[in-house]
Amino acid sequence: MKNDWLITFRSVTFAQRGDRALRGAGVEGILQRTPKQLAERGCGYCLRIRGRDAMPAVALLRERAIPFGKLYALTADGRVEERAL
Amino acid sequence: MIYLDNGATSLRKPGSVSQAMLRAMQTCANPGRGGYPSAMAAADAVYACREQAAALFDCQPEQVVFTANCTHGLNIAIRTLVKPGDTVLISGFEHNAVTRPLHLLDAKIVVAGRRLFDWDDTLEAFERGLRSGVDAAVFTHVSNVFGYILPAARMAELCRKHGVPFILDAAQSAGTLNVKLGELGADYIAMPGHKGLLGPQGTGLLLCGGKPVPLLAGGTGSESRSQAMPDFLPDRLEAGTLNVPGIAGLSAGLAYIRRVGTDAIFRREQEAAALCIPALRRQGYRVFAGAHQSATVSILPDMDCEAAAQALAAQGVAVRAGLHCAPLAHESAGTLETGTVRISFGHDASARQVQLLLRALRRGNIR
Repeated sequence: MKNDWLITFRSVTFAQRGDRALRGAGVEGILQRTPKQLAERGCGYCLRIRGRDAMPAVALLRERAIPFGKLYALTADGRVEERAL
Repeated sequence: MIYLDNGATSLRKPGSVSQAMLRAMQTCANPGRGGYPSAMAAADAVYACREQAAALFDCQPEQVVFTANCTHGLNIAIRTLVKPGDTVLISGFEHNAVTRPLHLLDAKIVVAGRRLFDWDDTLEAFERGLRSGVDAAVFTHVSNVFGYILPAARMAELCRKHGVPFILDAAQSAGTLNVKLGELGADYIAMPGHKGLLGPQGTGLLLCGGKPVPLLAGGTGSESRSQAMPDFLPDRLEAGTLNVPGIAGLSAGLAYIRRVGTDAIFRREQEAAALCIPALRRQGYRVFAGAHQSATVSILPDMDCEAAAQALAAQGVAVRAGLHCAPLAHESAGTLETGTVRISFGHDASARQVQLLLRALRRGNIR
């Protein structure tokens, strides 16, 4: 699983909290605006995680009770696919 | 100038506060609105402050809401917990920042505990009030006029026992006393950024243990398609652009406090107060001081208190006279008609400040 991943958040604060938690666990993410087509409610932020399995990151967010939205995989051919959580 | 009006605002801030503010003005755009570096730098500065506050006050970063001042936070909290006509229990030492919003809501106000520095009186009256059936309680941690440290932890415990939601006004305690949202189980704790937290004016924090009702509605940078305010914190209460330079300065103030320690700051202030109080008594003033005393001390000279403060100002000593926006506290102490002269030490309290105050009182012939 060497996709890039996007984990969406409802607010920049949740995204920052998620970012700090993941960094603390050695997962470097990039905090960025959520692409428009994925921001169902208007605006938001997401964490982009490069080239590793995103599920441990998702598990950590759950463990720390950090609210997040959805998980998307960015495929090599440029598609964005939502992954079930 | 000998600055002894820290109860109004702290003046001598750590240098890191203004440096952080300048840096924020030069490098920060709008937080939570864009993804480019200066917007993200602003978001980082804001989040860093939330983290500092969350660590100091025992809560999660999103429970830290930025306000313009303590009054702003109290208004949000009161509007959330109190419906028009509700019955609200308060202490006998509340500031207008508590009583005026309650009056605006036409709340029935029950005042509990009028005796200064008397925890038994405060607690007995407070529990009696809770038993009488109230919808909410609001109480100050420390009287801004007399420096009476109320038994906030035990009052909080009583509120929890009786199932009454409550708000703590930490205007005079944040930065020097133990203030923990989780430990107290408070619904809301409001505090200014510019007093004991050593941030700039125009900043404040509301720590939210409950789900608040917004006082302002508008853009938050989140869920913009919806016309309802977000249902999550802090966005629910942070409509409009935040005071980023102010928040950056507050963050530096909080970092300083965490480095030095609230206990150390409290001890330093207490040492100054312990020197000052007996010396004031020896000089013949009526001094309002007792057990559970912070480093804020009121005195009652024979002369008009405003004239006394003016005479001190002429000698380079800054104190505050009058009613200190707390007529209820003065009513409790019997000083509503005279007011008092308030001396309030801060994190930089020293024996030298005490000596210069006493000398100025003598030289100014303030009786």
